[in-house]
Amino acid sequence: MNKSVLIAVRECKERIKARSFLLMAILGPLLVLGLVFILFAVGGSQKKHISVLVMDPYEILEGKIMPKEDPSVSYDIINDYVDFEPFANQNEYQKYDLGIEINEQVVKNKTVKVLYREKPNSKTEIKLRLHIERRLEEIMVKEFTTLSVQKFRAVKQPINFKFFDTYDPKEEEDNLAGWAGFFFGAIIILFIFLFGMTILRGVSQEKSNRIIEVLLASASPKQLLIGKVFGIGITALFQFLIWIVVIGVGLFFLRETLFPDVFDPSNISFQQMSKEVARLTQSRLELNARDYNDFVELVYSSIRFENMLPFFLLFFVGGYVFYGSFFSAIGSSIGSESDGQQFIIPILFLLVLSLFSGYYAIYFPSNGLTTVFSYLPFTSPVVMLVKLGQGFSANQSWHIYLSLLTLLLAALFMFWIAGKIYSNGILQFGHRLRVKHLFKWLKKP
Amino acid sequence: MIELDGIYKSFYRKEALRDVSFSVKEGEIFGLLGPNGAGKSTLIRIINKIVEQDKGYVSFRGKNLTQESLKDIGYLPEERGLYKTMTVEEHGIFLARLRGLTRSDAKMNLQKWLEKFQIEDWSKKRIEELSKGMAQKVQFICTVLHEPSFMVLDEPFSGFDPINVALIRAELSEMKREGKTVILSTHDMKSVEEICDSAVMLNKGEKVLEGKISEIREQSKEGKFAIQFQGNMIAFANALWTGYEILDKEVLTDDRFLVTLKMRGENTFNDLLQTLLPHIRIESAWEVLPSMQDVFIKEVTKEKEN
Repeated sequence: MNKSVLIAVRECKERIKARSFLLMAILGPLLVLGLVFILFAVGGSQKKHISVLVMDPYEILEGKIMPKEDPSVSYDIINDYVDFEPFANQNEYQKYDLGIEINEQVVKNKTVKVLYREKPNSKTEIKLRLHIERRLEEIMVKEFTTLSVQKFRAVKQPINFKFFDTYDPKEEEDNLAGWAGFFFGAIIILFIFLFGMTILRGVSQEKSNRIIEVLLASASPKQLLIGKVFGIGITALFQFLIWIVVIGVGLFFLRETLFPDVFDPSNISFQQMSKEVARLTQSRLELNARDYNDFVELVYSSIRFENMLPFFLLFFVGGYVFYGSFFSAIGSSIGSESDGQQFIIPILFLLVLSLFSGYYAIYFPSNGLTTVFSYLPFTSPVVMLVKLGQGFSANQSWHIYLSLLTLLLAALFMFWIAGKIYSNGILQFGHRLRVKHLFKWLKKP
Repeated sequence: MIELDGIYKSFYRKEALRDVSFSVKEGEIFGLLGPNGAGKSTLIRIINKIVEQDKGYVSFRGKNLTQESLKDIGYLPEERGLYKTMTVEEHGIFLARLRGLTRSDAKMNLQKWLEKFQIEDWSKKRIEELSKGMAQKVQFICTVLHEPSFMVLDEPFSGFDPINVALIRAELSEMKREGKTVILSTHDMKSVEEICDSAVMLNKGEKVLEGKISEIREQSKEGKFAIQFQGNMIAFANALWTGYEILDKEVLTDDRFLVTLKMRGENTFNDLLQTLLPHIRIESAWEVLPSMQDVFIKEVTKEKEN
């Protein structure tokens, strides 16, 4: 068997058998679930009941919204349009917490305007999205297609909800999808850091306990480095897979406990639907009520996961190899295990920068700096996932391929550099690492 | 078996090896000697292709030394190192597979060696559970597990108790009987005298001595002789007078002595015996060859004095 594969398999086995792997596989997803819970359960308006004024001057909704019986939301529909100022100040509208404007363009531009007095919490926001979106889907199916609601949902574009503070009506971007991308990007950075440190520790331990000498007498430095980085990378992906499963199961239970009302079929008034839609909806609910509208899909309805996951993997691999090269170069260069701490700080800084760049991209998606970040291999794994979350139009998809190509090329280049430093630095002992050493080893053939 | 020709190696401005050449014949145990910092480890790393020489040529079995040659070479480094969390079995199999063995062959050979060293019950133990000496044994087994015909052992006796030193020595002797070739780098000159056939000595990156152990000792002799006799010590000293220099005297009994002396002028061993015979009863007499320890010290200090 190829020596790199042997080394990679050993690395995998050792990491997976370690107690820290199991601990991380349990605690990591629990932490994420906790954050999701906090995000949705806390924050925003804590009002138990929300009154919503639906402004539908063109009577697109035909005076109906599905869940009349939802005890936490009540809708009043008017066939008129109310502007920010009267909604904010006139007495007759004071009883409404939110105003939702369905204009005549909704079918085309898929955008719904939401006015609020107090920013609704995420749970309420999701409910509103579900209610309005479902009703609009029925309208669109009835008016424009011969498809079933079920099929239509599979091919439809998501509806954007633009939120405005009625007292200070600046447009707020619908950032939910961007945040979902950021979540994936942040996972990449977290894993790069955790497993990058594993590479660093692994390399420096092999160096300090001198087994490296035995290994180098059996395999070339390049084979060793490839095996180590590849093996730890597979471990990281395996860890990620566990996270996905645990988070997936956790979200399912979270959905059951946190949002039972939204998914409860009894909360949907079939009398208010057209017969055809009601029949389809009911039969689907009966067939697979649990599967109906996955929580994650609902929250991140504008994200196409079939696109997100492959790109996540590719950016993960690119980012991991790119940053992993830095970690392995430092691990192989340090004179002792305690040495080299100061060299980790700049890498940490870059990782924090990449998180910041993702945050920046959420709020300034078209800014020049975001464009720069999206092509910089240091930041692109986060920024491009944010952008993927926000969505690319068909003629812009080359951006993501170009960014990915840049990242992969940079990763290969960095790996080559790390290989040179590794080959020349791995057998140097007892020194105190300085930057000049790295350059010296880099220059050596 | 292996031939090094004009090896040069520098680490930046420091020259570690300068024009080192020697060859090791098949089936011999070859000592690689020298003080700390002489360049032995660098040379060993070159033989194991861990580092590349700047200049020179290394041939193994008549061909250029390549990565492929390493399958037939076993290497025990001076600084021992094993993965602490792996078991003895996992470790042995991993290293043997890196050297080209299949899993089943590696497992079979490991079992054989564990039985030979009577440590079968260690196979499931993690390295961190072993004492230093036990880990040394495992490391030795890992070195020979892939049944190489050529081995480079750097200080193989260090860290072992006398019983295990004897065990490793016996192993080396058996390897020699099996026709295997060993380069032995050690500071234990007694072992060199006892097991090595030939040796090379390095100092400050250069070769200072090379040859069969007996030849090296012969070359370094200084005209010293030892006489064990019965008689009067004063009569002995008077008989020698100015032609000889007494270096050492040991009183064995009241009238028995062992004296070490050095010739002066053109005197020979026969002259010495003829001079002494009328005065004392000679029990035994022999020419004193320097030990490898003496040779080592002499060569190193000579360099320093220069």
